[in-house]
Amino acid sequence: MQLDVTEEDARIVVTVGDARIDAAVAIAFKDKVREIVLRKRKPVVMDMHNVDFMDSSGLGAMIAVRKALPEAMPLTLRGLTPNVERVFRLTRMDMVFDISPNDNSELQ
Amino acid sequence: MTPTEWQNASTEGEVAVGRRPMFHRVLRAHPATVRDTLIAIRGRFHGQISEDTLGRLELVLAEVMNNVAKHAGPRPVSAGEVPGAEGAPLIHLCIVQHDTGLSCAITDDGVSVPDDCLLPRDLPQAETDNLPEGGFGWYLIQDLTQALCYYREHKRNFLAFCVPFTVSQRPLY
Repeated sequence: MQLDVTEEDARIVVTVGDARIDAAVAIAFKDKVREIVLRKRKPVVMDMHNVDFMDSSGLGAMIAVRKALPEAMPLTLRGLTPNVERVFRLTRMDMVFDISPNDNSELQ
Repeated sequence: MTPTEWQNASTEGEVAVGRRPMFHRVLRAHPATVRDTLIAIRGRFHGQISEDTLGRLELVLAEVMNNVAKHAGPRPVSAGEVPGAEGAPLIHLCIVQHDTGLSCAITDDGVSVPDDCLLPRDLPQAETDNLPEGGFGWYLIQDLTQALCYYREHKRNFLAFCVPFTVSQRPLY
């Protein structure tokens, strides 16, 4: 599980390096991200542009991370690829998470 | 019409394209082997079907096969198998491309699928102070497939469904 953590004054940016958040890594992913966000105690931006596949166990890990943070502590997801966005949308978890719209100009 | 012409004729009376990718694999139900299989499926159908369809196919198959792995129960271990996958249920997977989508047949010798998994499902209740961390798998399977059917015979589960090319063409039942 590859996670790149950049600490800024007001927030931390966690960039997921793995291409897949699936049943093979979901528990390790959850434990590692939870440990990072609880240690830093700052608003979190999770950059997922490298992730091109996530299943329901990966979604469960994301939900566990959200639940580990205090409700008032922002967790923003950015860079969702179509396969990852689909899982959030179909399970209506896009209503629960703060998801930054993709800047299309970057994709071109 | 000769038997060969009859086989090659499509419903529109034109000769159908006879060569389309299929996929078949026998694998142990284990997250690592499931992942390898999904990557192989992506390789087989890449460029043949849209990325959207491929994404839906991959998600459905991940949910089905990981369910088999997760609910395997105690199993006898036999020698010479993938580390961690020893004794896991054996999955047989076959995917065939049709004019309107991908037909999938999956069998396994794991525990039987509870009846309520196959009944129309709602999403698990999402309360802001108590979000569900699971229970999405069968909802996704039902949402992304057509003609989902299941039966169990002689200690094997048989599951079949179609992943349509375009969601907008989903028929109204």
